Amino acid sequence: MSLDVRSRPDESASQRPRRARRRTGGGRRETRGGTTWRTRLRRDRPLILMTLPCLAILLIFNYVPILGNVIAFQNYSPYAGGILGSEFVGFYNFQRIFSDPRFWEVVLNTLAISFFQLVFFFPIPIALALLLNSILSPKVRTVVQSVVYLPHFFSWVLVVTIFQQMLGGAGLIAQHLRDHGIEGFDLMTDPALFKVLVTAQVVWKDAGWGIIVFLAALSSVNQGLYEAAAIDGAGRWRRMWHITLPALRPVIALLLVLRLGDVLTVGFEQILLQRDAVGAGASEVLDTYVWYVGIQNGDFSYAAAAGLVKGVISLGMVLLANKAAHALGEQGVYRK
Amino acid sequence: MKNTPPRVPTALSRRSFLGAVTATAAVTAANPLLTACSPPSSSPNSGGVATGDALQKVLPNYIPRDVVSPDIPGVEGSIPGFTQFPDNPLTSVEGKPGSGGEYTAMTPAWWAIPPGLGSNEYFQAVNEALGATIDFEVADGNTYADKLQAVLASDSIPDWVCIPGWNLPPRTSEVVANKFADLTDFLAGDKIAKYPNLANIPTDAWRYAVFNGKLSALPFPSELVGNPIYYRRDLFEKLGVEPPGSAQEFLELAKEITDPDNKRWACDDMWTTAQTIFHTPPDRPHYWKLVDGELVHKVETEEYIEALEWCRKLYEAGVVHPDAVAGKTADAKQRFESGETLIYNDGTGAWYEAVNRQAESNPEFDMQAMDFFAPDGGQPRIWAAAAASLYSFISKEKSTAEIEELLALADFIAAPFGTTEHLLINYGVEGVHHERNADGAPELTEKGSTEVTQTYSFLVTPPRVYAKVDHPQLVKDYCAWSARQAPHVEKPLFYGMQIQEPTRYATLFTPFEDLQKDVVRGRRSIADVRDAVENWRKQGGDELRGWYADLLEKTEENSGN
Repeated sequence: MSLDVRSRPDESASQRPRRARRRTGGGRRETRGGTTWRTRLRRDRPLILMTLPCLAILLIFNYVPILGNVIAFQNYSPYAGGILGSEFVGFYNFQRIFSDPRFWEVVLNTLAISFFQLVFFFPIPIALALLLNSILSPKVRTVVQSVVYLPHFFSWVLVVTIFQQMLGGAGLIAQHLRDHGIEGFDLMTDPALFKVLVTAQVVWKDAGWGIIVFLAALSSVNQGLYEAAAIDGAGRWRRMWHITLPALRPVIALLLVLRLGDVLTVGFEQILLQRDAVGAGASEVLDTYVWYVGIQNGDFSYAAAAGLVKGVISLGMVLLANKAAHALGEQGVYRK
Repeated sequence: MKNTPPRVPTALSRRSFLGAVTATAAVTAANPLLTACSPPSSSPNSGGVATGDALQKVLPNYIPRDVVSPDIPGVEGSIPGFTQFPDNPLTSVEGKPGSGGEYTAMTPAWWAIPPGLGSNEYFQAVNEALGATIDFEVADGNTYADKLQAVLASDSIPDWVCIPGWNLPPRTSEVVANKFADLTDFLAGDKIAKYPNLANIPTDAWRYAVFNGKLSALPFPSELVGNPIYYRRDLFEKLGVEPPGSAQEFLELAKEITDPDNKRWACDDMWTTAQTIFHTPPDRPHYWKLVDGELVHKVETEEYIEALEWCRKLYEAGVVHPDAVAGKTADAKQRFESGETLIYNDGTGAWYEAVNRQAESNPEFDMQAMDFFAPDGGQPRIWAAAAASLYSFISKEKSTAEIEELLALADFIAAPFGTTEHLLINYGVEGVHHERNADGAPELTEKGSTEVTQTYSFLVTPPRVYAKVDHPQLVKDYCAWSARQAPHVEKPLFYGMQIQEPTRYATLFTPFEDLQKDVVRGRRSIADVRDAVENWRKQGGDELRGWYADLLEKTEENSGN
């Protein structure tokens, strides 16, 4: 409470110089630099104090562990030596990665699954959001929205089990078909269908959740625009094409860029749970590979090096996608 | 539902970010640097396997102890059985072994996790009798290896850790050397006489507890023959079929009894069985056989290929339960008990578990183990299972006095059947956890079933006997089966040796684990296996062969003396 009392005069004091600075422009900023910094510190002290704990947590849990990546350059053993005592081997682990055909197979497989999902999953929440937006009855809308986004709260174990119980060889549908004299089928163990299967699961589980962002963007569209367009004789499709979609474009571009940055990350848990069903050939992705090599086989250094390579590729993808977004006139993730 | 693997991707990408920046720099300058990098110097543990005299020196003496003689004696190493409980159980340990110490322990569970110390009268009663407190952290057995990795890599490990032989972590030698106490000075030779119940554990089991040339663990002695092929005799009789006597008969029978329309499949995944029938060499480190004086690896043998081909035929014929095809191994027991599969393969402990579970709800339930057979229907040849299947280690942090106390507790826990200690460990307190039935045999009450699970007995066990006195018929069936198999048992190469390969060979065999699954399910071909074997040789398989050949030579030299 005392914080409040003290901050009030500070605030009013700080408002004035700021406004003054804006008016005077850049020419005199240098001379005022020192005082500005100090006044700003004084002015923002409560805010800074409030963010400090978060900053500390960010540092401790996100930035300090980054230092642990040094094990990629070691022959690391958590039992003998640890990070400080393990032997340095230079780029040996990276050399192994670049000469390991399995690693590149896995990267390709990850990319294949990822792009498949990009094409067949990414547009679905947008379409759903547009559909939902067109429902006029708020009641129906809320019900539909709840129903489609509830599956997001199921764990992957549950989702995979439900799919197995429904579509597996001894599942409900196969068994029902057999009861009626039709040959059963097994969708869960066919490596050729694996991409479709995982994408279908992602759609079932997360498509509803994905619409939230788009709905928010849609709700900010000025309704007057629609009215004006309607008066000008624009039909449904024209209104969607010229008003709704342009409104969604920045959000779509942003999410697309972020998704591309994550292109080497596809459902670790989801895939790990189904790896045995279709075999490692169709299902191994970078994250499961790193997990098997690092955790199961205790080759921590190799796994860390693989993680670093993944980081590099992901960074490249983000930069590339961001460039592309700029070229199309979008904001992207950031702008210099 | 529990213990799903942690979701790492987001953490990973975040963690990788800054590292990525450094690595970008590295990759652009990659070529000159790559040539300058150095492979790790070979680990010093390659010579750590004890043989001959060195091994003899660290092994405890064997001082057998007869408490009660079995109703069904063992034959040629088969398991002895008890069908009734002795009228007056003996007390094998005088007073309380402990002196008030408090310890933590970690053990696996392939069943519901029992309530913790505070709300578990069984733990409280046993701890009271021990005169010390052991606080158990019980972890899911199916994901135990993953949990162990994290626990062992941390700085605070439990005081007493059970590690199943199949969960021994990568770099086991380093783990044991750095994290666990050396028990040699406490137990070797006649020092073990101080702990008579531990001295009762046969020497072969102790041999497997020697890591890096030091006695480092307490063994969980195992049975001579493992992995029975179980079948539902009740359902077999209903269908009018008999257990098969050859590989071909098995296949035909499987096709005959499979009926998907009625949700019935012949079997679960039979890969382990396939290897037993075709006499494929067992798992690491016993996966070698001598052919004309040369070491031949399991994957190089024709037996391995034959086992794969046979197992593949089962899958092709559609007699394997679809959920097993989908790799849902954790539910195999449930599929078998509910009659969705009629044949399945499991550890020896599964027999009692299933019979006990089904006794109430399904009195018809009749589970039996098949006699093994050779592929052509002749006499089977069975590899002896390693003499110890689980190990328990004591943390290196413990002082001499604490280790002595823990060993005294172990001595209590290892009391053989027919003692009051054994009764307490296995059945809890009379009137609370068990009641005597008409034959005087203890039967677990409902409270007993939740609280009394295998925990203490995963830390150390007496030599194996089959003493499920609450199911005397099971004991007869089990011992008879064991006695019929025992004459066909052979010891594999390197039997009785705890061998930890150098870390650089650790991942050599890994590709085959995926490949095997793929081949039997028809996703890859036998030709792919041959390619993988070729690759294996080049990638270090031949080196590994040399490493084992040296070891073999050393062993033979030592035994020649």
